[in-house]
Amino acid sequence: MARNPIKDQVAIVGIGTTGFRRDAGGRSSASLGVEAAIAAIRDAGLTPADIDGITAVAEPGAPRPNQVAAMLGIPNVRHYASPSPVAVFGLVDAINAVFSGACDTALLLFSMLRLPWGSRSAAADPFRKHLGFGASVIPEMLMGAPAYAAWASRYVHEYGARREDFGYVALNSRTNAASNPLAAMRAPLTMDDYLSARMIRDPLCLLDMDLPVDGADAFVITTAERARDLRDDPVLIHAATVGLASEGDEDQLGGLSRTGQHVVVEQLKAKSDLWLDDVDVFFPYDGFTIITLGWIENLGFCGPGEGGKFLESHWDEKSGRALIDGRVPINPHGGSLSEGATRGSGHLREAVVQLRGDAGDRQVAGARTALVTPGGFFFNSQGVILRSG
Amino acid sequence: MPPSNPDPTDAELVDSFPYVQVDHDTKHFYRGWLERRLLVNRCGDCGHWHHPPKPVCPQCLSGSLEPTEVSGRGVIHLSMLLHQGPRAPGVDYVAGPHPVVTVELEEQAALRITTTLVDGPEAAAIGTPVELTWIERHGSPFPAFRTRGS
Repeated sequence: MARNPIKDQVAIVGIGTTGFRRDAGGRSSASLGVEAAIAAIRDAGLTPADIDGITAVAEPGAPRPNQVAAMLGIPNVRHYASPSPVAVFGLVDAINAVFSGACDTALLLFSMLRLPWGSRSAAADPFRKHLGFGASVIPEMLMGAPAYAAWASRYVHEYGARREDFGYVALNSRTNAASNPLAAMRAPLTMDDYLSARMIRDPLCLLDMDLPVDGADAFVITTAERARDLRDDPVLIHAATVGLASEGDEDQLGGLSRTGQHVVVEQLKAKSDLWLDDVDVFFPYDGFTIITLGWIENLGFCGPGEGGKFLESHWDEKSGRALIDGRVPINPHGGSLSEGATRGSGHLREAVVQLRGDAGDRQVAGARTALVTPGGFFFNSQGVILRSG
Repeated sequence: MPPSNPDPTDAELVDSFPYVQVDHDTKHFYRGWLERRLLVNRCGDCGHWHHPPKPVCPQCLSGSLEPTEVSGRGVIHLSMLLHQGPRAPGVDYVAGPHPVVTVELEEQAALRITTTLVDGPEAAAIGTPVELTWIERHGSPFPAFRTRGS
């Protein structure tokens, strides 16, 4: 076992969200963020004065920790940071700050805006003109999003993957989103719809890509001991890690058999008492469908190149989605593909909702353990195992 | 093609490639472009190649690096067809998808360069042998690949 003294010592005690829309309509990232933050603090039964740590994820246009403190009137901030996007970077910062004693109660905030480089409507919005981050300036750069299409080509080449293998990921997300009122895309989707969708970066089409949205998620995090005084359903962080393989650029990655996901899986497995057979609900990232297939395979649900066939063989025809062994749903909130591109904060929030037993029609009966694996292959692979406390 | 400048200043070099970040680690690589030569960093101590240019050799940590011309021959390792994407002169997404290929160079396993393939999207299959050629982008040379017999 790897060293993991933080195991079950830190808890999520508050969640708040705006829900996600293709266009939140004339609102700033700060406005969305503060709405989610207030909801999360109230959900924990606290007031802003009880917060002494702020982890405000550095999404383009998102409020910085000092702005969050100013908006909420938080008087004494003892820890603050702006980690890179993708959810577990922020979560790890906040839980480590609480566990170390740097702060007692942290607010973890994710505030997303559609950006000009990923959304035509955002590009037409003069108030978003300054949010240029992340754009490839020439077509021949693999930096960021295009790298997933390029490596999907390799996946198809090495494993003979069918388009349907990717399609199952998209269908599963959309079916699940239909029962999530927070989701941006809830219209039903068929395999024929998937196969006839417009190619964007062949081999990936429009429905292989997550959906740019406006919205925010917030979490309140404190010690497990304090959590028990606050509520009877805290969610404990059992194990968390991020992972990076050594290659510095997407096109230099050694291969699909050695990605950041592999580092995460090795670490998580070594830190956790709970593993795949214990998982009641599974949240693999789905910024691109190829990433989801990667997590399913690299976590060991099936072998390399078998992700699509795994989904097919665990497909529940009646509900039109995957249920692993007839039991475990995958991204029951609809994931980034259909709830919206939260970069993993939606996955984390839904895990908490499920472990609290508050998911209504989507509830996984008796859910006690959730596996959440945000991020892709390169510089943001990460994972966390949550359990009900 | 504009008349070639035999000895461009650093400022002229940076101005020649407004769409990439030229810095002290990458300046030799892009100076090579102006001469239509593909220069890849090779370690003067252990002979290991790496790309993109780094300040040390990731194999032996030596700072003795030599931008070294490569043969330009390789095999397509990754291939995608852009049906939409960033605007660039000579790239017309309406006329057809724009191929972007990552080519593994023959000098070393997993040493790769990403650019376009001049033969068009149908030729961009993974495993296809290719060789370096040069096109023009914003008035400056730009490396590309074309198919070759194996």
